[in-house]
Amino acid sequence: MTRPQPDPVRGSCAAWAAIIEPLCAEVAALQPLSFALGVPDPATTSWHGQLFGKLRPQLAREPVLVVAVCGGTNTGKSLVASGMAGFAISRSTPEAARTRHPVASLPTGLSARLDIGDLFPGFTPRRWQSDRDAIDAVAAPGEGADILVWVDDALGTQPPQVVLLDTPDIDGTLQENWHRAELVRNAADVIVAVLTQQKYNDAAVRDFFRAAASAGKTTVVVFNMVDWPRQRERIDGWLATFREETGIHPVAVYAAPYDGAAADAGRVSFHPLPACVPGGGVLPPGDGPPVPGTRIVAGLVATDLDRIKVAALSGSLAVVLDRTHGVEGWLAAFVEHSRAWQESRQRLADAARVEVTLPSAPRELVWNEIWDWLEPRRSGFDLAISRAYRWAGRGVAWTARAAGLRRDAGERREDFAAEELTALKRALGDFVARLEAACDRDERLAGVLAPRLVSGDRAGWFADLQRRHAALPVVSEAYREFVRGELDRFARDNPGTVRWILAALNAGAVARPAITVGLGLAGAAVVPAAAATAGSLTTLVHTAGDVVVGTAATLAGEGALGLTAAGLRPLVERLFAGWSAERSRVLAESIHDVVLGDAMDAIDQLAAAVTRPEPERIRRLLAAAREEG
Amino acid sequence: MDDPAPASAAPPTPRVEVDFAAFDDLVASIRRWVGVLPEWAPTRPVRASWEAVEPRLDRARRELSRLLVVGVVGGTGTGKSTLVNALAGGDVSPAGDVARPTTVAPVVVAAPDVDIGWFPVEAIGARVVRSAAPAVANIVLVDCPDPDTQSFGAGSDAARAGPTRPSDANHNRDRLEAILPLCDVLLLVATAQKYRSWIVAREVAAFAPGRPLLFVQTHAARDHDIRADWQRQLEGEGFVVPRIFRLDGVEAARRAATGLEPEEGFAALTRAIDEELAGRAARRVRRTGSLDLAGWFLAESRRALAPFRAPVAGLAAGVASERDRLEGRLAAAVTARLRAGRLAWQRLLTDELVDRWHGGPFSLFLHSVAALSSLWPRGRGFGGGIIGRLLAGQPIIPSTAGRGAWQQVHDLGLGEVEVEQSRAVLVGLAARARIQEPLVGRAHLEETAVQATVGTLLDRTGLWLAAGIDRLVADRRGRLDGPGVRWFFELAFSGLLVAVLGRAGYDFFYGHLWMGKAASGAGFLQEAIVWLLLWGLLLRWLLLAWLRAGLDRDVDRLVAGLGEAHLIDPVLADFAGAAEQTGRYLADAERLEARCAALTAALDEPGGGLGRLRGTAP
Repeated sequence: MTRPQPDPVRGSCAAWAAIIEPLCAEVAALQPLSFALGVPDPATTSWHGQLFGKLRPQLAREPVLVVAVCGGTNTGKSLVASGMAGFAISRSTPEAARTRHPVASLPTGLSARLDIGDLFPGFTPRRWQSDRDAIDAVAAPGEGADILVWVDDALGTQPPQVVLLDTPDIDGTLQENWHRAELVRNAADVIVAVLTQQKYNDAAVRDFFRAAASAGKTTVVVFNMVDWPRQRERIDGWLATFREETGIHPVAVYAAPYDGAAADAGRVSFHPLPACVPGGGVLPPGDGPPVPGTRIVAGLVATDLDRIKVAALSGSLAVVLDRTHGVEGWLAAFVEHSRAWQESRQRLADAARVEVTLPSAPRELVWNEIWDWLEPRRSGFDLAISRAYRWAGRGVAWTARAAGLRRDAGERREDFAAEELTALKRALGDFVARLEAACDRDERLAGVLAPRLVSGDRAGWFADLQRRHAALPVVSEAYREFVRGELDRFARDNPGTVRWILAALNAGAVARPAITVGLGLAGAAVVPAAAATAGSLTTLVHTAGDVVVGTAATLAGEGALGLTAAGLRPLVERLFAGWSAERSRVLAESIHDVVLGDAMDAIDQLAAAVTRPEPERIRRLLAAAREEG
Repeated sequence: MDDPAPASAAPPTPRVEVDFAAFDDLVASIRRWVGVLPEWAPTRPVRASWEAVEPRLDRARRELSRLLVVGVVGGTGTGKSTLVNALAGGDVSPAGDVARPTTVAPVVVAAPDVDIGWFPVEAIGARVVRSAAPAVANIVLVDCPDPDTQSFGAGSDAARAGPTRPSDANHNRDRLEAILPLCDVLLLVATAQKYRSWIVAREVAAFAPGRPLLFVQTHAARDHDIRADWQRQLEGEGFVVPRIFRLDGVEAARRAATGLEPEEGFAALTRAIDEELAGRAARRVRRTGSLDLAGWFLAESRRALAPFRAPVAGLAAGVASERDRLEGRLAAAVTARLRAGRLAWQRLLTDELVDRWHGGPFSLFLHSVAALSSLWPRGRGFGGGIIGRLLAGQPIIPSTAGRGAWQQVHDLGLGEVEVEQSRAVLVGLAARARIQEPLVGRAHLEETAVQATVGTLLDRTGLWLAAGIDRLVADRRGRLDGPGVRWFFELAFSGLLVAVLGRAGYDFFYGHLWMGKAASGAGFLQEAIVWLLLWGLLLRWLLLAWLRAGLDRDVDRLVAGLGEAHLIDPVLADFAGAAEQTGRYLADAERLEARCAALTAALDEPGGGLGRLRGTAP
């Protein structure tokens, strides 16, 4: 009794599929970030094509042998492909580069078992209607531009595991044709290289087939349009050059003689040339009579389908695992770029800092808040005295105003608002200038920020700041909360507080500190030495996306003398600093919302790329694949 | 380079001289245009392109009578060498299907008596072959290497990764690119397999500007006739294709070697060479080629500059917008200050009054009041700054540098931040047009730039304000000089004076001396003086009120003319200048292209069978 032999193809496929599927997921997850980092697009590399165009779609599915007919413009690919299929899968025309879309001939029943779109990722599959489909097909709105026309084997003679494709050219003026041919090449197990005496050594042709050889594709060479038999002896030299240039070792070589009338009728004959292949390859020895094209595929399948399939998959895996030009090369570039972004991020944080020196707050604004807090804590006598002082004060103020010596409260607020707006505008202009300077010094930053700096509506930025400032209430509810909290805390820590506070306020009102608020990018070291004075500002620190009103440094004047007792000076400074910090919030919001937009998020994301876990996971998967391979 | 001046060369005709005079003028204009604005980045590719084009135009002018060099170009295996052999009437260049590429070193074919000492044969590693065939009697034919067998260095991964290969030593495309600049005409050879070759199309497009072309389909014995499709392809790439020749090179070479009558396609090609490229036709080829080259250069320049048209217009609009914004602020501040200076205006008008009215009682009264008023220091209460000083009748203090200038301009409602806001906006607009330093400055004005910009603004504004205030005062002065005004007030004032004096005289002479009544004493006089003072002050108030009437309206009218004074221009001058210069540069490009097109149309050369790359955009 014979024990059933394990299927080597399915065995290898299952083991590799367990690695390739997560590998693809990790690479796909990292790819947008890699693109944003400026790493060359892996979609144009061989390893990417083999990973996503061959290994992923083919490892997890029913094994089929993909045979692709490839070559330069007007070399007769369509005629050869139709000859191999046994019927006209795509029309051969005298004009060059007419085949715009690949055409796949499927063995009977395969289309019912397999989704063609999954087998050929990147293509939109479309059922064959006529042999002009490859020439005339146009993508419908919403469809991908790359169409793959598929047709069931009309004769029913195609081997059940074989998918045969005709492809667009690889050297014509329409470069989208090259792309489609490359997608098919990536997916192929067997390449039928259609060469002519004019094109077998063209650089574009060599490069295309060299990539196929590197990926372990089995190759059949068809020299087409041969002046037969005059050029028979030339073929050896042509083939030697082709082999030397591409590294291809064809398993079979055929000559298709030039016969204009037969070609016009869609007929082509193939002369097997076993002498051109060391050991004869898959051909019987000796130049024999011409064979029909259908025999070429049948001969391949009959010989060793499994070996061809495994060789193609191994070759693809080798391309993916190549330490220089494979996934690891891309990962190295990813890490290098992400580190460079980290440095750029730090450079930006160092450069793009803005300090807003706001004008002194109108005394009565903070004063009034404090009086409101004190009101319930004061005695009736104290209040009566205060009221009397207030009346007297108002009288003095009225007289001063009437004499033109003092502006009224409304005018003072207007003056303050104008000064404050000027300070905010100055800070915005300074910030933009710093960003420009940072972009001048760092190309990466320029790549992200320059479009905003150049195409942004700068007049709109200033108008936005002005609008926000105009809409900002003189005293917000958040600030009232802050004042109450500060005073409550101070009262708890300092019993008998009212007397001290009153004394402090009288002196503090004179002291009114000038406030400098530091605006920095999140994560930047923006806190200056005076941060201690603003330690309790955390309740008022507004994080507007990437820009943080991080600290307020008070520049106390001479009036602050004498306020050190019982920590009153820090209290007064905090109260004024808190008010200024909140005022500067409008600048932070303008910078975030209209100047930077999502640019800082993007830069942060790029700078954080170096910490992403995917590269390490990918490396582990690659190591596992090497062990498996 | 010596001009061989072959025997077949005809002397230049007067028309040629005239044509080239106009062409020289055009080239000189282009040269001047290319030389301007070197600081503007978008002009750099234009200059680089001109550096390649100018020597060719110059050479064409100097070598007007030299034989044309015809380069035979095309993909490997298309039968270039076979065609050259057929034209030369023998095997002058190796041809065949043994190996690709066949031609590595270029082959130069010339008639036996033609001196080609001017042709850099050694520099391009060419081999010279002499041929007495009629087809090459009046041209120099060059069999060029192919462009399609040399690998691209930075090609696929496989190309990079692979071992050393024979093709690594293939430099045919490099050789071709060294030869084509020496050619006057390109003879493009293609087959059914290669007429849509991307690399051939790329090389031809790069060297076609200013070089007429002959298109030839070879392998006619085997290939289908693809001329119609090829023509569509070429026309799509911007070529004018009057004709494509179709022939079989092998058959033509065989017939030429055996002395048989040439086949029709080949005969047509040799006729075309004779008619279109030899003798006087060579001059025409050079002339039209030069014009095409100039037209192509201008069209390419226009295309390269096209993306900057809108940004440059945007910068000009931005300058106007920011100027309006700053002028608006300046106008508002000036209006407010002028309107608020009521006392100052009164003083100015009083000074006018005092200067012009002398001799009467009312004038004497006015002088007395003015003398008393002068005890109050001038300028007090008028505020500081330029406007305050002008209204106080004081001279303008010259602008100071740096912070002082900013302080002075702040009095005019502008201030550093407002100016820098406008400049920041314009820096962004300029960046869109790739206009940078030194064409424009930065948003923040350095200390040294403040004097030149803000200082000039201050000086201009001071002069403009002084002139405006003078004008307003002069208008009022005209009122004073009106007929009867002074007499009216003198009579009105004198009337009371006369009445007082009359009453006093009456009381004294009639009442006291005549009637014997007691003298009224100084009481009446004291009372009379008070009334006289009040009457005088009332008249003075009426007079000044009349003079002040309409002052606000006149101030508005004065400020409305602020834009015409271009007061703001100094602080935005760099941006305005850059927008103007770059706009003119772009407009000049269009004008030059139109001139070139007009010259081409005026020459009206017969096109013949030569193709060409369109000089102007379709």
